[in-house]
Amino acid sequence: MTDFDAIDALLAGARQEVPLPPAGERRALREGLNLSRTQLARALEVSPSTVGGWESGRDPSGEVREKYAYFLKGARTKLAAAAPAEQPEETAPAEAGTERPEETAPAEAGTERPEETAPAEAGTEQPSAHGSGDDGDEDVVALSTPQPCVLCGQPARHQVAGFPQHLDPSHCGTPERTRTLHQAPPTEPSLPPASAHPRPRTGGGVKVVPAGRRLKTADDPDLIAAAVSAALDQHGGDVEAATAALVRRAIPDAMALLDQTRKGGRYDIVAHPWLPDVLRKQTSRGPDQIWEARPKWTRAELPPGEFEVTALDVNGAYLSALKTHLPLGQLEHSTGDRHDRRRAGVHLITPPAWEHDAYLPNPIGSRDEPGPLWVTEPTLRLLLRLSGPKYGLCDPPEIHESWTSGATEGLLEKFRVALKDARDRAIAENDDVTLEYVKAMYSKFVSTMGESNYNRELYRTDWMHLIRSQAFANLWWKAHRAYDEGLMVVRAMGTDELHVIGEWRAVFPEGRGVSEVKVKDVYTVGTPVAAGQDV
Amino acid sequence: MPERTLNFGAYGARGIKGYEAVARQLDALAGFVATPVTARRGLLARLRYLTRSDQSRQAARAAGLTVTDRTLRAWLRGERNPSRRNLERIETAYRAVRRQNVSRYLLARLNREGRGTRVEFHPLNQSQVLRPRQRVVAYRTLNVRRWDRIVEAWAAGDAQALDDAWIYDAVVDLGSEWGQYEYVTNIGFAA
Repeated sequence: MTDFDAIDALLAGARQEVPLPPAGERRALREGLNLSRTQLARALEVSPSTVGGWESGRDPSGEVREKYAYFLKGARTKLAAAAPAEQPEETAPAEAGTERPEETAPAEAGTERPEETAPAEAGTEQPSAHGSGDDGDEDVVALSTPQPCVLCGQPARHQVAGFPQHLDPSHCGTPERTRTLHQAPPTEPSLPPASAHPRPRTGGGVKVVPAGRRLKTADDPDLIAAAVSAALDQHGGDVEAATAALVRRAIPDAMALLDQTRKGGRYDIVAHPWLPDVLRKQTSRGPDQIWEARPKWTRAELPPGEFEVTALDVNGAYLSALKTHLPLGQLEHSTGDRHDRRRAGVHLITPPAWEHDAYLPNPIGSRDEPGPLWVTEPTLRLLLRLSGPKYGLCDPPEIHESWTSGATEGLLEKFRVALKDARDRAIAENDDVTLEYVKAMYSKFVSTMGESNYNRELYRTDWMHLIRSQAFANLWWKAHRAYDEGLMVVRAMGTDELHVIGEWRAVFPEGRGVSEVKVKDVYTVGTPVAAGQDV
Repeated sequence: MPERTLNFGAYGARGIKGYEAVARQLDALAGFVATPVTARRGLLARLRYLTRSDQSRQAARAAGLTVTDRTLRAWLRGERNPSRRNLERIETAYRAVRRQNVSRYLLARLNREGRGTRVEFHPLNQSQVLRPRQRVVAYRTLNVRRWDRIVEAWAAGDAQALDDAWIYDAVVDLGSEWGQYEYVTNIGFAA
């Protein structure tokens, strides 16, 4: 399918690992060509999330690295070719000025290997980019009236094998602005070269979407940035007042963001399902019967000697925990010791005995009373995984009854990613207002999604318990990882606190991102060993 | 009426009438005293609510608590305890008065100045219906803008009026298959 000749030549030319551009540039290159992750992933025969990983810092290796480098090089060349031709058509020179440096830098770098440009242009990875090459064999039909493209949804003027689509991938994702309806519909599908059109860029221009017969400007999707700038304007740049105002409206804003991120989603958010009695509070102030497995564990004894303990803090624990298997609809009752991986909910289990309390926390937390208890899906999955052949740390839990519903892990995924991106951006730009706002949004969203009077739009006690349990399970895995890598785990408390002894920097990256940890405290514990004493 | 189910549950479907679910949800939103009337604490809370002012005394009397003020005082002081029948009367009167008092505010919150409230229809339970007789009944949502008649009927405790108001003010807006939502497992909304 793919023409490997160029890749073979490349392999012959360079034995050592091909250098790749930095992570941030990879994404810009792909988006510059208006290719989606999925499209690229299909061409490289990997999954879209892998491509996402490469674009956020991971590096591919082996054959796929060569392919990816080949793509990036080709993309660079193409962008470099498009950039000068585009310049006269630029309507906003100010924006062009801001964009230019990113685009010319790869262009200059691309000139190092001029021999690569020819195969990149002829490469079959973008077959539809060259309409003249395939107008003979494919049944390309020009449409008299534009129909929505199957790839991007924007009006397209051609159809291939019955599917309306853009022939040039650089047109995908944006309406064809330069064409007018008065032009005779072109009979042959060969398009003018992409450089003749103003190539849509990620930063500039106004995004428009079809609305009926007309176009309208797309709604500003960045609700967070809009809210922050509006609040700052309203309070005349007073950071504290703006932060306070934003934190006060965090819950309705989080719900609005949730609605926005669920647009076009496969599943509805069911906000008021019937809930079983185990999820209902017994009294108005009392708790319900669900055990969230909050860890509260301290190592009983340390080996002799003096140790330096580092208290690590997991960043945005509840934000990361939004990615969990959430039940979609109404919970249904079932009995028996079976676990269905496609469902999620709460389960009445008898937890297995835990014999590793001396060096690892109990995955069901510090439970004092014995006997069966209601746990949530993340805790059960944690126990099942630990009882599996890979870990074998405990016996499998015995499930007595369950309230479950069909589940998906992707329900709050876009919501989580929107918040995480805003958080990352705020950290990079040192923007405390946005940071506080985002923090209030996700933490209040989680804490009020149950039976709370502060958020009456969502009554999902089950989700609240599941998300919290997921945060605790994530912390447990961090503790396990530390233990696995040879650190000594001393304490695991609450949602996000882990005390370890040893070289933790080799295990956990330090920083403020959600996958990193930060140091809360460093203290020493134990008795110093005298120099001559035999230990 | 063709859309109404005549013999619900003949093939094993389970559910409750939509208006019952609505009344249940409105009751939950109204927030009654949680302690049962049979407990001393619950009884006192209800009696205090019903005797807080002359107006509430009148409302209680209108709602069926036809005892003398002397008896009420004795109950409140704990000199006498109400009989079981009177306990029932206290409970019904308390619920009726509470509903009437709350309805104004609940109505304003539900109408939200004409923007209405989003209502979820959780379809009836077909798990006990034979496979060939099962039908696709989807989860639906609807924005109900006018709650006046619904809340009024609920406050008056008039089941028939509530049924009519619910069907004709809300359920018919679901479209031609509204009859599938006459019986539901749950109606979800918040105020």
